[in-house]
Amino acid sequence: MKYGRVAPWIFLLPTIVGLGLFRVGPIIAAFLVSFTRWNVISAPRWLGLANYSELINSEVFWRVLKNTAVFSLTYVPGVMICGLFLAVLVNNKLRGITFFRGLYYLPVITSTVAIGVVWSWILSPRFGILTRFLHGLGVVNVPSFLGDSRYALLTLVVVYVWKMAGYHMILFLAGLQNIPAVYYEAAKIDGATPWQQLRYVTLPLLSTTTFFIMIIALIQSLQTFDLTFAMTEGGPNNASATLSFFTYVNAFVHFRMGYAASMSFVLFLIVGTLTLVNFWARKYWVSTLD
Amino acid sequence: MLKRVSMFLVVLLMLSFAAGAAGQEITLRYFMWDPTFADIERELIDEFEKQNPNIKVEMTAMDPSSYWPRISAMATAGELPDVFCMSTGYFEQWAQDGLLMNIQELVDRDLNVDDYFVEVFSENRYPDKQSGDMYAIPYAWVTPVLFYNKDMFDEAGLAYPDDNWTWDDFLAAAQKLTVRSGPRLPAERYGFFWYGRYAHIEPWVYANSGRILNEQKTRIQIDDRAREALQFLSDLTNVHQVSPPYKEIVGISQDNLFPLGQVAMWVDGSWNIENIRRTAGEDFRFGIARVPKGPSAVPGDTTTYFWPDAIAISATTPHKEAAWALVKFLVGEHRPIESYMAGKVPIHKGLAYSKEWLQEDRQPGNMQLILEQGEGVGRTTFTLGWSEWRGYAATGSSGMNGELDKVSNGEQTVDEAIKAITEYGNGVLSRYYPEE
Repeated sequence: MKYGRVAPWIFLLPTIVGLGLFRVGPIIAAFLVSFTRWNVISAPRWLGLANYSELINSEVFWRVLKNTAVFSLTYVPGVMICGLFLAVLVNNKLRGITFFRGLYYLPVITSTVAIGVVWSWILSPRFGILTRFLHGLGVVNVPSFLGDSRYALLTLVVVYVWKMAGYHMILFLAGLQNIPAVYYEAAKIDGATPWQQLRYVTLPLLSTTTFFIMIIALIQSLQTFDLTFAMTEGGPNNASATLSFFTYVNAFVHFRMGYAASMSFVLFLIVGTLTLVNFWARKYWVSTLD
Repeated sequence: MLKRVSMFLVVLLMLSFAAGAAGQEITLRYFMWDPTFADIERELIDEFEKQNPNIKVEMTAMDPSSYWPRISAMATAGELPDVFCMSTGYFEQWAQDGLLMNIQELVDRDLNVDDYFVEVFSENRYPDKQSGDMYAIPYAWVTPVLFYNKDMFDEAGLAYPDDNWTWDDFLAAAQKLTVRSGPRLPAERYGFFWYGRYAHIEPWVYANSGRILNEQKTRIQIDDRAREALQFLSDLTNVHQVSPPYKEIVGISQDNLFPLGQVAMWVDGSWNIENIRRTAGEDFRFGIARVPKGPSAVPGDTTTYFWPDAIAISATTPHKEAAWALVKFLVGEHRPIESYMAGKVPIHKGLAYSKEWLQEDRQPGNMQLILEQGEGVGRTTFTLGWSEWRGYAATGSSGMNGELDKVSNGEQTVDEAIKAITEYGNGVLSRYYPEE
């Protein structure tokens, strides 16, 4: 039927045009730019693979890549465990529970820059409330959480987990509420302890949600930018610079668009590969209700 | 009736076209980078429009972080504003790419150079800083000074710093001004503080007649005098402990340490006078002095580090004369003093030497010193790719800045830092200046 063939496309047209113009188009353009030297203000010059070879030979880039890996490997489990913990905590029918759900969600909707400023102050060695508190407890050598290259990156992870745990809590909560109560009843009758209920009922039945959250958290962790920007600016001496931040700096401070574009394609490859691996691994640990 | 009305409208339309043609009204677009001063700037421009009834100015004010991406994109699209602010960090690149109009002839024709801090112009010359033509013109400039807390000096029974101060005098004062309750850091109050920031480091290098770039400014070449300055700074932190390590001052805006009384002395750009007054209040007593001369300084060398904020005209503007008229107005004597942060110097000497700018009845009371330093400004360290090798603003943790922070943290020696800075910096510079 002719009508049936054309009509869907007409309805899809706005989305397709939007997607092409604002997503696919720029992606292709960025891909081409990654083979050029382009400072934005004058015409790009074709370089071939020079940007990519510069990346591979850049010591700073490898350090940034390592930082990104450390960030992801700590952020993803961190935020998932905290999110799940909060979700289990607020997944009951106590009076006023919505208040707590809202409370834990608050950091998610708070501006990252504001969070960065406040946490910078909390952690500041000369003025910070945390430093004062630890001094009060008798800790003599309170480390500089943001100024010491050993801790700066992990500090960012902690603050980012604090900010995003509420978001993952909501997702986990939705998943938890999808689990029919009958399973718990059955488990209880069989004499399962709360821990066993969590381990053998909740977690397996939550695995589709967990899978989704893992992918979201992974992508978030690889794209982290504004918190770094607000709190450490990648410092000290690049110790907390991650790939997205480094891309931003090269693109909008140094105006090295070609180099920055090549970096974002490396990021694209990493995200793509990890997501594929995730989907492949899915069949080994994700079970569905049906 | 309808016919009559439409006839009337047509005539009206024609008349308005005719009027427009006779008046030759020109619309200029002007982009500036400081929204906090947008209102004052607008008033100034209203004044300009009154004096030049044929010229309308559309002004846009943006924060530097959005300003640069925006006007860079406009440059690509060939739609640069006719007149726009230009920073020293990007000037070389923009001049090299042919985006800025050569204004040398107009400057020679219209400006009386005696009215201006003409040495400051050098930074907007291209390609050579001495003999090149001007592609932008400063409207303001700043230079680093040594800030000191008068109450702390009085309390310690120390004489205020003067032009004869040596580095030993400085160190002795810093030691006396550092207050610690126990043998270990952190101290309650430090005599001084520094980290890898350009406005903290370069002034000391200059005060020792040192150089961090080669003669042509195409490669990093940190000479012995510069090395001596870096070692002196390192020792302040790591040996004498009169300055906090970098890791101790994070989490708070660095320009608030001095006004909050955390340190007794500080070297940074003169525009900080504004922030000190605002943060600490008018009762806070402080002075400014020259950065003390180093032991290896060439006698008589008064070269001071400095940097201007400039205004440029787009190379492609169709309204050259009108744009120049606006620029001339913006750098001229009409500019209100309130459009400058206290400590930022107007390029026009009439304004700078005015009572309103010098403000001798307010702290620090001796702003004359900044103007004296302005007569001795010279070579700077700005190059293509400066933000990259130097490390500045959002990249403040990388490049030379990051390596020196490591020195301040006691994680590496000055020589290790110099090696790393030279290697990394020359990697950057060889991309911009392939031929050595």
